[in-house]
Amino acid sequence: MTNQIIIDPITRIEGHSKITIQLDDAGEVADAQFHVTQFRGFERIVQGRPIHEMPSIMARICGICPVSHLVASAKACDEILAVEPPPTAVDLRRVMNLAQVVQSNALSFFHLSSPDLLFGMDADPARRNIIGVARENPQLARDGVGVRKFGQQIIEWLGGKRIHPAWVVPGGVDAPLTDETRRRILAGVPDAIAAIVRALEWHKSELVRWEDEAQVFGSFRSAWMGLVDADGNVDHYDGRVRVMDADGNLLLDRIDPRPYWEYLGEAVEPSSYLKSTYLTAAGYPDGVYRVGPLARLIVSERMGTPRADDELGQFRARLGRAPSSTFHYHYARLIDTLYAAERIEQLLQGEEILSPRVRAHATINRNEGIGVSEAPRGTLMHHYRVDDNGLVEWANLVIATGHNNLAMNRSVAQVAKAYVKSARLEEPMLNRVEAVIRCYDPCLSCSTHALGQMPLHIQLVGPDGTVLDELAR
Amino acid sequence: VAGALVIGYGNELRGDDAAGYRLAERLADDPAVAKRGATVLARRQLTPELALDLSRARRVLLLDATTLLPAGELELRRVEMGGSAAAASSHHMTPEVLLGLAAELYGAAPETWVLSIGAANLELGDDLSVEVTTALDGACAKVIELLDA
Repeated sequence: MTNQIIIDPITRIEGHSKITIQLDDAGEVADAQFHVTQFRGFERIVQGRPIHEMPSIMARICGICPVSHLVASAKACDEILAVEPPPTAVDLRRVMNLAQVVQSNALSFFHLSSPDLLFGMDADPARRNIIGVARENPQLARDGVGVRKFGQQIIEWLGGKRIHPAWVVPGGVDAPLTDETRRRILAGVPDAIAAIVRALEWHKSELVRWEDEAQVFGSFRSAWMGLVDADGNVDHYDGRVRVMDADGNLLLDRIDPRPYWEYLGEAVEPSSYLKSTYLTAAGYPDGVYRVGPLARLIVSERMGTPRADDELGQFRARLGRAPSSTFHYHYARLIDTLYAAERIEQLLQGEEILSPRVRAHATINRNEGIGVSEAPRGTLMHHYRVDDNGLVEWANLVIATGHNNLAMNRSVAQVAKAYVKSARLEEPMLNRVEAVIRCYDPCLSCSTHALGQMPLHIQLVGPDGTVLDELAR
Repeated sequence: VAGALVIGYGNELRGDDAAGYRLAERLADDPAVAKRGATVLARRQLTPELALDLSRARRVLLLDATTLLPAGELELRRVEMGGSAAAASSHHMTPEVLLGLAAELYGAAPETWVLSIGAANLELGDDLSVEVTTALDGACAKVIELLDA
């Protein structure tokens, strides 16, 4: 007899999904799958739209990381216009992209994951939440508010809107930076860095407590992928693709990321709207790789800012070059956030950052364009084909959560095997299954606000469709 | 935020779910609101960092859509701290939990009200229903009235 445990929906991630845990005849976990039950459809929606509308349309895919889509989309449009944005425009795009990294990473670590990290996976959900964090460790909670607000405000000041700014446009940005905005942003950097460093110190002091759990928390051998600059250092905006194996050997190094079909395949499973990408050299489903903050740290030689490089050194001294556990996404995410805050400061201190030359203008000069950048969750690719009038004929998006899909399935299966000990659904098991998914901070193209509750609903379903057990909160 | 804070929230791509968001956009351009010194924010959802804004306000007015009222109907209710925080997430932070967070973190729990607007259509799209569009006039007047109270 085969049973299934279904967790639907998953809480504290961006979007809508469910998890199915497959039990074998002996009642042991045989496999697990992460399904995305939300249909995005943006690739179809944009067909027929003019290319200059693409960045602002694509930004609406997500209420959490709109800037990431804005940037990747604008880069694809740059290619279609065959323009090179002025250097100041590139730096300003970098600032906004890094502000996105700050605010999204802060949401993931402070607001979504810190309750688990502070109270433990077995704690009562009535306490294991953001109000509980505010009571138990108010400084941590206040730092979360402050860091996220810092990133959000940069986006709002640069783009005029905090959620869906339209400031990044094909050819550059829509308006130059004012000195007043530069000073306002720079004034917030010290507090943001101090808050991130406090969180890092706290997390590092707590790591020993999680050593055993990390061994069964999505800990497996896989490849890692991220963008690096010419020196092999982390690069969130531009750069070339580097892929490293579980032993730290380079499988691909500084290749052009744009012809992604040469190194990545995309598989579609009937049970999910989320595509699974895989390394073509290893095939499907063996070509598992991971992207995101942990992958960026692993594949890069250095971060390129003083404090983040110091933290990267400590990270590697403690965990090695390529730690296998998904749990360490949390640690990596904080270092990634620290880098972003430091780099924002560096960029805004550039001599040309106030230059009025921020946009190149052109008409349609190519019928195809690909934009690639690092979103908070990992490498993001936008690929468009347009007709001679600049109307979109075809679009394909390869998103970070798709890169991580195979890894998420493996992670869920490992956690379930370690903690699901009966056909009964229990809260600590449920929370661990969710928590390992939260490490990847998956973004399922969220419709971020909808009326009504989103209760957690889990069903244990027998082979005849009978509900054997049910849990809701 | 030294005076009143108005936050309208909802998804602009889900029909009437955007009622609060659209109302906030309208209020932000209304000279009568500016004259009263209120700060107006349009957001897709209530998120934890808004606790800081709440804590600095004298009075808070939240604007949201609801399916619990007939389409276009308005309802005003006072927010009391509390409610289950277990479901608090980036997806779903209730006014009660947000107010509680402001109190826990910043020691301030300003008088907070929710103005709910009955929704008719929550399908994909950026248009409001006729009922909600019509109701926004009354909702604007209600907000001004509250700002004067």
